Amino acid sequence: MNAYYAIFRLRRRLETQYRGAALGGLICQVFFGLILIALYRALYAGRPQDMPLGHVVTYVWINQAFFRMVLSSDPELLDKIRTGGIAYDMCRPVSLYGFYYARLMAQKIMGTFLRGAPMIVIAALLPKGWGISLPASLPGFLWAAAAMLLGLLCVCAMENITMGFTMRTLDSRGMQAMLNLLMMLLTGNVLPLTLYPDSWQPVITALPYAQMLDAPIRLYTGIYAPETAWLILLRQAAWVAVLVCAGSLMWRANQRRLVIQGG
Amino acid sequence: MNTLRLYRKSMAMLIRSHMQYPASFLMQTLAQLVMEGGEMLAVILLVDRFDHLNQWTPGNLYFFFGLMSVSFYITECFGRGITGTFPSMVRSGQLDTVMLRPRGILTQVLCADADPRRIACIAVGTVSLVIGSRMSGIVWTVPKALMLLESICCAFWLILGLFMIEAILCVYSVKSVELANALTYGGRSACQYPVDTYPRPLRVLFTVVAPFALVMHVPASHILGKPLFGWPGWTGFVTPLAGLALFGVMYTLFRMAMRHYRSTGS
Repeated sequence: MNAYYAIFRLRRRLETQYRGAALGGLICQVFFGLILIALYRALYAGRPQDMPLGHVVTYVWINQAFFRMVLSSDPELLDKIRTGGIAYDMCRPVSLYGFYYARLMAQKIMGTFLRGAPMIVIAALLPKGWGISLPASLPGFLWAAAAMLLGLLCVCAMENITMGFTMRTLDSRGMQAMLNLLMMLLTGNVLPLTLYPDSWQPVITALPYAQMLDAPIRLYTGIYAPETAWLILLRQAAWVAVLVCAGSLMWRANQRRLVIQGG
Repeated sequence: MNTLRLYRKSMAMLIRSHMQYPASFLMQTLAQLVMEGGEMLAVILLVDRFDHLNQWTPGNLYFFFGLMSVSFYITECFGRGITGTFPSMVRSGQLDTVMLRPRGILTQVLCADADPRRIACIAVGTVSLVIGSRMSGIVWTVPKALMLLESICCAFWLILGLFMIEAILCVYSVKSVELANALTYGGRSACQYPVDTYPRPLRVLFTVVAPFALVMHVPASHILGKPLFGWPGWTGFVTPLAGLALFGVMYTLFRMAMRHYRSTGS
């Protein structure tokens, strides 16, 4: 466990190096958030929905703030497979899956902190109707925080599965693009899951993608009541277990047939 | 003319090089198709829930979405030298070789890269345009068709001009500047819906600074028979020229930046 923690710490330091880039990215993302909210406001003005506008606005901001948690991958691994550098990683006395899981988690946590924390502050300062609302209740907030942690574990496990697929071929951009699209559509990045047709809700909220960001957001806005929150967390935990098992089995199978490139 | 022949030749070469790995090319094109399909799905789902956006019917919205998608991805397909590879050319010092050759820098950069996979996105955009046109019951006339064509052509130069901002900035700062994305990709996400959706500051931004509204929405709204801002019909032919004007400004700035260029290669 200590080894994985060390990997995590190294990676975290690397992620904090590019502060200038983080600032530019932050401004850009706030701008994107504002565009989306302006659109939803105009749509709501034409036809109000059962779900209040505040929920959608909050959904957009949390999604923008945690963008780096959901959609960021480790580009080095693919390079390593192409160049044969993966051989070094396989020599390490730790499991390859765990090694990359820890790296990914550090990358995602730091990316989220650098972008997410200031973004939430900005979103909270915006005028009413444009900014993020307060959580529905204190227990709801605490449950949402816990769900966010499980969501992070879920994202990392899913990302490792994506990489497991991409490890098999040298040029994996097509496969990766497809999996990323699923991620963007089904985590609510393109369109909040709450705005999908009502008849789709039972299916899309049960998928692993909804466990990452959608479940915490719904706990935060109070769509999922705090009384039944433990059920949501249970569902998340079950998916984490399934995804980690599937991912590590896949990686083990891949490792056996992995061809080391380069000379 | 010579330049055009050169461009055609390099495009043919680039397409052939992409075709060297047909399976990978097909897979990536398919991925692009699914990706743009996903974007369109978002519009369909929004229309399903909200039915209309101000005075715009679902058909109108598909038309606007299609127009943006076709123009944006034509630019990404043929202008990839600017939209994609230029920053890395500056960073790696590759631009030096370009400067030695007896042709314009911009011509060479544009000749250096193309992205035929985007054809899938353009196809999705075209489908959306057709569906939108059918659903809105547009009666096509020659002036209307010309207006659409002019709008798409000018949008190509507009979007290329906006991508050149990033190219110009990266000559000065070497590190790629994510902030410039706000106008390009931000403009795409925002202006796939008509500009009157947005509050005044955003409307001004996308009309005056990055004139997506003048280039796309004014002509499109005339084609749909619902003139934006109540402007008369001839404006639909005039306002798209703003795209060319923006490109002209950016081209001048680009040449100034090139004079400032210091190689990073070693």
